[in-house]
Amino acid sequence: MSTPLIKADNLTVGYNIGKSLLSKQVLKAVNGVSLEIEKGSFFGLVGESGSGKTTLGRALLKAAPITGGGAFYDDGEVRYDLTSLQGAQLKDYRKRAQLIFQDPYAALSPRMTVRDIIAEPLEVMGLTKTRAETDERVREIAAKCRLNLEHLRRFPHAFSGGQRQRISIARALVSGPQFVVADESVAALDVSIQADVLNLLKQIQRDMGLTFLFISHDLSVVAHTCDHVAVMYLGRLVETAPTRKLFEAPRHPYTKALFSAIPSLDPDDRGRAQKLTGEIPSPTNQPSGCKFHTRCPHAIDLCKSQEPTLEHVGDQHEVSCHRWRELIEVPA
Amino acid sequence: MTTETQGSAAEPVQDQTAKEAYFTASQGQLIWARFKKQRAAMIAAALLFVLVLSGLFAPFLSPYDPTIAGRNKDYLNGAPTIPMFCDKNGCSSRPFLHALERERSMATNFRWVTTVNEDKRIYMEFFVEGAPYKLFGVIPMNTHLFGMQDGAFIHLFGTDAAGKDIFSRTLHAIWTSLQVGTIGVLIAFVMALVIGGISGYYGGWIDSVIQMVTDAVRTVPPIPLFMAVAAFMPPEMSAEARFFYISVLLGFINWPTLARRVRTHLLTERNQEYVLAAQLCGASSSHVIRRHLLPSFTSYIIVDLVISFPYMVLSETALSFIGLGLKDPVNSLGVMLQNVTSADVLLNYQWYFIPVIFFIALVLAFVFVGDGLRDAADPYSDNNK
Amino acid sequence: MTSLIDVENLTLKFRTDEGLITAVDNVSFSLNKGEVMGLVGESGSGKSVTAKSLMHLNARNAVYTPESKITLHTDTGPVDVLSLKKPSEMQVVRGGAISMIFQEPMASFAPAITIGSQMVEQLMLHSDMSKAKAKEISVEMLDRVGISDPSKRFDQYAFELSGGMRQRAMIAMALSTKPKLLIADEPTTALDVTIQAQVIDLMKDLVDEFHMGIIFITHDLGVIAQTADKVCVMYLGKLIEEGPVREVIRNPKHPYTQGLLAALPRLDDLDSPLTPVPGDIPSPLERPSGCVFHTRCPQIIGDVCRRDLPTDTKVDPTHRVACHLHSAKEAQG
Repeated sequence: MSTPLIKADNLTVGYNIGKSLLSKQVLKAVNGVSLEIEKGSFFGLVGESGSGKTTLGRALLKAAPITGGGAFYDDGEVRYDLTSLQGAQLKDYRKRAQLIFQDPYAALSPRMTVRDIIAEPLEVMGLTKTRAETDERVREIAAKCRLNLEHLRRFPHAFSGGQRQRISIARALVSGPQFVVADESVAALDVSIQADVLNLLKQIQRDMGLTFLFISHDLSVVAHTCDHVAVMYLGRLVETAPTRKLFEAPRHPYTKALFSAIPSLDPDDRGRAQKLTGEIPSPTNQPSGCKFHTRCPHAIDLCKSQEPTLEHVGDQHEVSCHRWRELIEVPA
Repeated sequence: MTTETQGSAAEPVQDQTAKEAYFTASQGQLIWARFKKQRAAMIAAALLFVLVLSGLFAPFLSPYDPTIAGRNKDYLNGAPTIPMFCDKNGCSSRPFLHALERERSMATNFRWVTTVNEDKRIYMEFFVEGAPYKLFGVIPMNTHLFGMQDGAFIHLFGTDAAGKDIFSRTLHAIWTSLQVGTIGVLIAFVMALVIGGISGYYGGWIDSVIQMVTDAVRTVPPIPLFMAVAAFMPPEMSAEARFFYISVLLGFINWPTLARRVRTHLLTERNQEYVLAAQLCGASSSHVIRRHLLPSFTSYIIVDLVISFPYMVLSETALSFIGLGLKDPVNSLGVMLQNVTSADVLLNYQWYFIPVIFFIALVLAFVFVGDGLRDAADPYSDNNK
Repeated sequence: MTSLIDVENLTLKFRTDEGLITAVDNVSFSLNKGEVMGLVGESGSGKSVTAKSLMHLNARNAVYTPESKITLHTDTGPVDVLSLKKPSEMQVVRGGAISMIFQEPMASFAPAITIGSQMVEQLMLHSDMSKAKAKEISVEMLDRVGISDPSKRFDQYAFELSGGMRQRAMIAMALSTKPKLLIADEPTTALDVTIQAQVIDLMKDLVDEFHMGIIFITHDLGVIAQTADKVCVMYLGKLIEEGPVREVIRNPKHPYTQGLLAALPRLDDLDSPLTPVPGDIPSPLERPSGCVFHTRCPQIIGDVCRRDLPTDTKVDPTHRVACHLHSAKEAQG
């Protein structure tokens, strides 16, 4: 087993939201998450909106304040402690870790040509000396993302969603990062284009040997792209496993519910699955004990009082549930 | 569904070059393309262009000095004299006026009476030499676009009580009003950019304090303030200095609205994902401001400036109208408007109202151009979809 | 079964700065009473525009061709929807016989009015019931769509509810006037999967109970498979395939429908590669000639696709497809 590229250790991201001086309320968007992302892997992070998955991704890019625990980056060349990263080291880390946004419409400045958008990281980071060199790099990465040369002169308004997302990808990759966070990068795309962008991401990841953190709410997309999946609920990691294991034998009731919620393509298979009731609680008003007990069909008194910890289930498979052993037989 | 061959669905984008031009069009070009489609705004823009030019070239276009120096002392409160081509003695290819004769005799009870001598023609001349002036304030010239033979007078818009040519005065007044507006807008703009910029970019308590100050300034009632300032201005102060102070004052009164818009725009733009994208590349604040924030609102700022311009002109006019603003010999549209405030004018000297038409045209032109620019700059303002 | 709404040769263009843009091109379909129709397509396929024209609800720059005809069969006889002009006439279709629910329920509730008073107002507008009666019905409806403590929610504002609750309230409001036809425009797209599942279940129950016609607009074929009786697939304003849901999903005829199904990541087979529909959706400004799909079609026959519009071919009595592949077969057979 190689050393992990990204290692989070009890990572917590909190925001102060209390207005009054007496009651200082802290919103813990990410709450004590530990995970390791292997170099060269395609790591999936799944959860509903409000689960803290986007915040975790941002924290690993040093774009959200880490208030507790630690996070480390180690690509063999350099080793950074993300909690104390600043100055020149932070600048260097920006070259090595990049983000692909969800909305290909908001992430591209409407006032810059595609060439300028892709070239901006190079110019900001001072990676290239001359304009010719910049153009060279831009053309190279644009070709990898299947953008034509004449596209580079155009402005973003000339492009469809899929093309815009490819521009976004090219921009994120132009500085030659090792670690890329793709935050819901296909959620805003049409189905017929979604597969195309996913394939492109996979191909680039293989060709350039990158490590991806792929954040998504869509389990079926994650299933097809990622090697390893972590499921988040209300700032906590509830289950993490290699993709295949997770899909063959999910252990956490929440993971099971997520699976059963995916609408089946079979018109004769209607309404079979057990559906989750209720909605994800507000992160400002978190339940005691297991965060999931308010919606869990199998919750017992223990779940309300005591918070479960991640337990080893099998090879690289961990789950955070008091009753996972008893629930093995309960179908997904 | 039929088997007919389908024609192109989007007629205007016919060939590849046109399409490519659309795809590679910058925001500015798109705004201009959208602006061109609005007829009212285009007409207003053309009118505005003509008005600005006539203001700029006022000394050349007007036959006489607009001050008391250029007065026609023999034609006080005179009606407009319109050049003609034909009279009872036949037609001429050159426009002419009939000579005016002024006499006092037994027949007139010893009062001065002006009569038109319809047999005597005075021909109009072009590029005549006349009162010296400085074009754009620097080039000394004495050629005027038109004038009359033998130094006679022509008054297209008539004359006022002192015999000053209203046509010349109107053209000069447009220029003065534009200057006051420009200085006022520039001062307001610089203040707005700095104050609104700080407020919007830093946010937090700085923002709160600045917003409080801004609100405080907005609540100051302008008219009493103007009256107070007018009381402080020494009567011996030169017309030019007065003019300058009025402009500055207008700027100080008008900045809060602009500052608010700058701030709001910065606040929304700052949270755009592409700004975060730039920050994630390690871009500095100055890079973000220079490359993203400033370009993102230049178009909006230009629109705001154009829209606030007529308010400057209006305020100046209002000030001058109530007698607190500019005074002779500086003359602005407001000064001209002040002259129409008597029953005498309404009953006998209606040509005094001609500058009012120019004033309305100027303000309306600015408003329409501003509206057109705003619609063009904001693609979501139209209800296309 | 009797027909509820008939759409014939609907063609709709938008007048924009860049010229006339065709949004819907010669679309015909009909929906029976109590039938659920899925309208599938990507962004720009014209599915929402088509649905909005059923209520004559498109923006002012929309131009309908004279051949376009939409007939709604109400209890009092057929109504020609596109000929309605005055707001008072429109009331028959808007909020009366037809209700609509949207993707973003927040945008459909006035922020400063409570959910209850909006429901009551709508009910009183379309019938002459008393206020007390309207309130009773509203609370009943809120209860019916699974909102807990409905009389309390009745007095709340939309922003006080969570996304899923808001969508339920929206559905309750749409159903309170007992519409003949419900148009659901991507009602689950903005929701999390678990909430989506709840809303789909709710809609299925409501169909059984109220027995109205539903047009379900979505880009998610899974949602269609779960809810619809029949499916219409649209691409660039063209209706390219129509048929019963089982037929279309198991036995798609149009290369685009086949492509859409193949592009879906399947959970039952993780090894199968994802096959995208090649190419990008053309910009509305550069609408392809001939078959609109020919620029991306993997099974293009030749010039005939680039030149001629394909005609509708019936592959069986209820299943029709507009593709040269099938019109050619029919000509031979």
